[in-house]
Amino acid sequence: MTTAETPRQIAWARRRASIVRTWREFAAQRAALAGLVLLGATVVVALLLPFVSDESDLDVTKATGQPLSPPNADFWLGTDNFGRSVLLMTVWGSRVSLLVGFSAALLSVVIGTLIGITAAHFGGWVSATLLRFTDFFLVLPSLILAIALSAVLPKGVGTIIVAIGLTAWPSTARLVRAQTLTIESRPYIERAHALGGGHLHIIGKHVLPGVMPLVLANTTLVVGNAVIADATLSFLGVGDPNSVTWGLVLESALNNGAISRGAWWNVLPPGIAIVLVVLFFTLVGRGLETVFNPRLKK
Amino acid sequence: MTTPDQAAVLVDAGEHRGGTGTARFVLKKLVEALISVVLVVVLFFFLFRMLPGDPVAAMTRDRATSPQQLALLREQMGVDKPVFVQFGNYFWGLLHGDLGESRLLNNGRPVADMIGERLWPTILLVGSATLLAVILGLWLGIRAAWRRDSLFDRTQTGIALTLWSVPQFWLGLMLLVVTNGLFPSRGMHSPDAAPDVLSQTLDVLHHLVLPCVTLLAVFYAQYMLIMRSSLLGEMNADYLTTARAKGLRDDLVRRRHAVPNALLPTTTLVFMQIGSVVAGAVTVEAVFSWPGLGQLTYDALHGPDLPVLQGVFTVLASAVVLMNLLAELLYRVLDPRVRTS
Amino acid sequence: MRTMGWFLVQFQRRVGRLGAVAAVAALAAIPLAVPAQAQQGKVLRVALTTGIDHLNPFTAVLSASTQIGRFTYEFLTVPNAEKAEASPALAESWTPSPDKLTWTFKIRGGVKWSDGQPVTAKDAAFTFNRMLTDENARTANGNYVGNFETVTAPDDTTLVIKTKTVQVNMNLLDVPIVPQHIWEPVKDLKDPKTDELAIAGVSDGPFQVTEYKPNEYVKLKANKDYWRGAPKVDELQLLQFKDTEAAVNALKQGEVDVINRLNPNQFAALQGQQGITTNAAPGRRYDELSINFGVTDNANNIIGDGNPVLKDINVRKAITQAVDTQTVVDKVLKGLGQVGGGVVPAIYTAYHWDPSDTEKVKFDLAAANTTLDQAGYAKGPDGVRTAPGGAKLELRLTGHANRSYDQGVAQYVTGWLKDIGITVKQDLVSDDELSDRTSTGKYDLAIGGYGTNPDPDYALSLHTCAARPSPDGKGGSTDTFFCDAQYDDLYKKQLTETDDAKRAGYVKQAQARLYSQFPTIVLDYQNALEAYRSDKFAGFTTQPQPKGAILEQTGYWGVYGATPVGATDTASSGSGNTVLWIVIGAVVVVVLVGGGVMLGRRGKSAEDRE
Repeated sequence: MTTAETPRQIAWARRRASIVRTWREFAAQRAALAGLVLLGATVVVALLLPFVSDESDLDVTKATGQPLSPPNADFWLGTDNFGRSVLLMTVWGSRVSLLVGFSAALLSVVIGTLIGITAAHFGGWVSATLLRFTDFFLVLPSLILAIALSAVLPKGVGTIIVAIGLTAWPSTARLVRAQTLTIESRPYIERAHALGGGHLHIIGKHVLPGVMPLVLANTTLVVGNAVIADATLSFLGVGDPNSVTWGLVLESALNNGAISRGAWWNVLPPGIAIVLVVLFFTLVGRGLETVFNPRLKK
Repeated sequence: MTTPDQAAVLVDAGEHRGGTGTARFVLKKLVEALISVVLVVVLFFFLFRMLPGDPVAAMTRDRATSPQQLALLREQMGVDKPVFVQFGNYFWGLLHGDLGESRLLNNGRPVADMIGERLWPTILLVGSATLLAVILGLWLGIRAAWRRDSLFDRTQTGIALTLWSVPQFWLGLMLLVVTNGLFPSRGMHSPDAAPDVLSQTLDVLHHLVLPCVTLLAVFYAQYMLIMRSSLLGEMNADYLTTARAKGLRDDLVRRRHAVPNALLPTTTLVFMQIGSVVAGAVTVEAVFSWPGLGQLTYDALHGPDLPVLQGVFTVLASAVVLMNLLAELLYRVLDPRVRTS
Repeated sequence: MRTMGWFLVQFQRRVGRLGAVAAVAALAAIPLAVPAQAQQGKVLRVALTTGIDHLNPFTAVLSASTQIGRFTYEFLTVPNAEKAEASPALAESWTPSPDKLTWTFKIRGGVKWSDGQPVTAKDAAFTFNRMLTDENARTANGNYVGNFETVTAPDDTTLVIKTKTVQVNMNLLDVPIVPQHIWEPVKDLKDPKTDELAIAGVSDGPFQVTEYKPNEYVKLKANKDYWRGAPKVDELQLLQFKDTEAAVNALKQGEVDVINRLNPNQFAALQGQQGITTNAAPGRRYDELSINFGVTDNANNIIGDGNPVLKDINVRKAITQAVDTQTVVDKVLKGLGQVGGGVVPAIYTAYHWDPSDTEKVKFDLAAANTTLDQAGYAKGPDGVRTAPGGAKLELRLTGHANRSYDQGVAQYVTGWLKDIGITVKQDLVSDDELSDRTSTGKYDLAIGGYGTNPDPDYALSLHTCAARPSPDGKGGSTDTFFCDAQYDDLYKKQLTETDDAKRAGYVKQAQARLYSQFPTIVLDYQNALEAYRSDKFAGFTTQPQPKGAILEQTGYWGVYGATPVGATDTASSGSGNTVLWIVIGAVVVVVLVGGGVMLGRRGKSAEDRE
């Protein structure tokens, strides 16, 4: 083999090395690693569920248990008001909750990134307008906006995703804008400008790869928030009644008097599931931030 | 919600270019806040016009109403006019403190009155929770950062991260169940309290405990994490090393130099986060039947009583905008760098 | 509380001066100084789980507010406790003229307003005349005076009402009579001042409002001079709760004495609890699943957007075969109700109709599948049937979003219909939107129901052709949009039939006809569920008797009859559950915090690099 490498190869080698380095830095944080492993496990379980469990067991007309029976050998976490297994509902609930979390986060991060980069890159009145726009939405209480949106739109998973996604983007936009400004102030961007690189080239080749890591970290944190927001919307009665979600299990336990009956097994599992999943996302997100955010590096 | 570390970036990202006079700066911020408030009004007005259903038909559903009466009602409510005329009327009313009338909850009552009587309980709840959360959060954050990676730091960070992952309404329910009758479960007054001022005050405080602790639990965690990370950022700064080199005692260095500098972005953030505290109050008030704006929102949502929802949201969002204006002005006053540059 | 404080202190020491906890502990210490209690007599506390809009009886429409009106104001006549039939109140007697257009009420003497002024026929005349002349005064009860010609009080004990046409409810005018000397100076009845004590606090009923804290509570004191005799309690408090769940909790703690609108689980939770007695009153309401069979307005134009397959009676029959009303009663109502039949609830035995064995469409999923197979709706490979035109059988199901009954029924119906190859999309909405949708035909299946009267006319009238709305969407009072010549004929016959037995026959035939066409499935008649602290109070008078409700009567009998039980000890509030909950709570906190601590080691690597 020759020792001469093409610039492309060099770039790839560098990129690989950087990924390995990032991974090592990330993995050195035990909490973040633990969060990632547990999160991975949760996602795998959620994805594999249809192969190992029958969704029709969630159908009330097929329920075999006594209503609100406490945990026993057949139902490890007891049953709900209609005799369905709470364990099964909690596990199945992860699917919609995660779906809503990921989709809403994705939506908000895409919007946020677009606005953030545009606001930083173009400057002038575009930037000023977008900045004002972002600041306006940044200060509005996002949960209140989300409530308003989901009260107005027809009920369904899509509405929840849109309601959360459309209201959670401003902080991402701010973050991305700051990062873009930092990157664009570096000399090599000026060189790229001088060499005649267009907007698309500079954004695509230099800015986007530069902000991506931080956006990734940010996304993880936003997912956690979206999961909580989803549960909160369900609790307030504007959620989707057609699918089993953690928020819905909690809301119906409240609504049908399970709490009066002392059926703690209807309230604790979904609540703890929310806390754990959000905690996993937070740990991973903070881990990523520690690695990627120059501010936090010492 | 904004995550703590992100939030630290957000504050830094804010532009604080100097050069303009203070008066001009204040004026500019005032105008911006005013525009924001107008935008809030526009936003919620048109958002709630998207809802399906004829408000007049809904209003009269339980009563026999003739077509003439319906037409009259439409005219009175102004819903027969084009939407822009409606907006004009609404805005004109707003300038005079008129937020429309409730349709379901308190039919015919001015929304402004309903909000007025609910405002103080919410201010009391949000205010006391924020105050306690700030004190607790900042203090714990400082200690945790100063003794980084000690058992204390790890315990506190762990607790904060966990609390921060808890849905507020669930935490409230758990507290309600676990304390089982130690504290009143509803409202903010007990009808049996003696009429003297001391008993009344104690009575309200007694009712305040659970909702306040619920709100406090999540928000102190946030402030603690923010304070911790911004202090960690400060601690590596050169001037601290210099101060230490000069032989200053550790706690003196902490008190005189690092903390005041780290406090600045944190307190600003406290103001910026007031919006999410207010949103948190909605669910917490609903859990504890606290007679504030959050409870009103919850009730109005189930109607839905649109004029009330619109009014509450407009007032809440505008209040948050104004709090932010205050934060920015405060930042200007507090930050020596911004002032002198 | 003490133990908790101690725990916090210990916790603090152990973990190494966790000053953190100090602030929380300080906050928690506040309630140690338990607020001083005011001196009080026998206080009856009633939980309200619905809102109050006004105290002003002219503008109060929500049920909690009308209930307050019943406690505070006297009416000309009130439905009695035994059978809910008209009985004397302010009016000692009443007589119609031969043409039934002029009614003369003899007003009771010696009754006083709470400010000492006498109650006279002039007050009653003022009340009705105000309603005739002031639109705002008609907000709550305007329907009673729409047909009035004149109302006069020739002297203090005589009230004369002339109507334009014969009005059937003249012996039960459900209108609170207000004091003329207080209300005459009030120019604007929408003025918030009309909800204040200076105006709404002057009354003549068994109780009198003494304090009103909006969204929190209403305090009323017993009217010692009440003409029937003073109530046996000294004070009545109506406390507002966000929902029944919170109210149940309060009843267990002894914070309230009477609650209603319980759901079956809450009812079961309170059954057998020491010191608490439950009351299940047979329902006057039928619950139903309406099927949009291609509904029309009264000019027979199709309205709304119902799925066209529901025009096929076979599909409606299959759906009826697939809905197990017995399971709805057993599982959703936990047995606290009766299985549905006709639209007249079972409590009205004379007019109630149940399908005979041959008429009954029995729950049978296999038969339902056969019905659909034979009608040409073939099942696809995914188990969903398609209509002959090729469209999949998918139906929307709407109902009240915040009612656990609707949520439960929706789940069962979805499950059953899935088994017969029909996909159901649940879309439960707010009360407002639901009434909007059902009144304009914008539904496929809708969970609903109507409260009915002892007289079957109202329940039957909800399904006549004439009850449908006009083409401009107005004037409808229909439930199902049903329009059937045979049914209408039976309806008219029962209206004019004077022989009770014959009339009952027509009423039952009409219900049978309705049942056979499947415009709706009457699911059940659910019980009204209430509970009270029997260790503190007894003697609640139900309406009707023997098995009726205590609260939300058309009258004041329930709270008026309440009698304090002699000196009782109310200490035993906490249940065995408490300890369990606390243990569980503590375990959860420890596990979560412990986990958090284990995981919360972020920053380690950052430090390592230094």
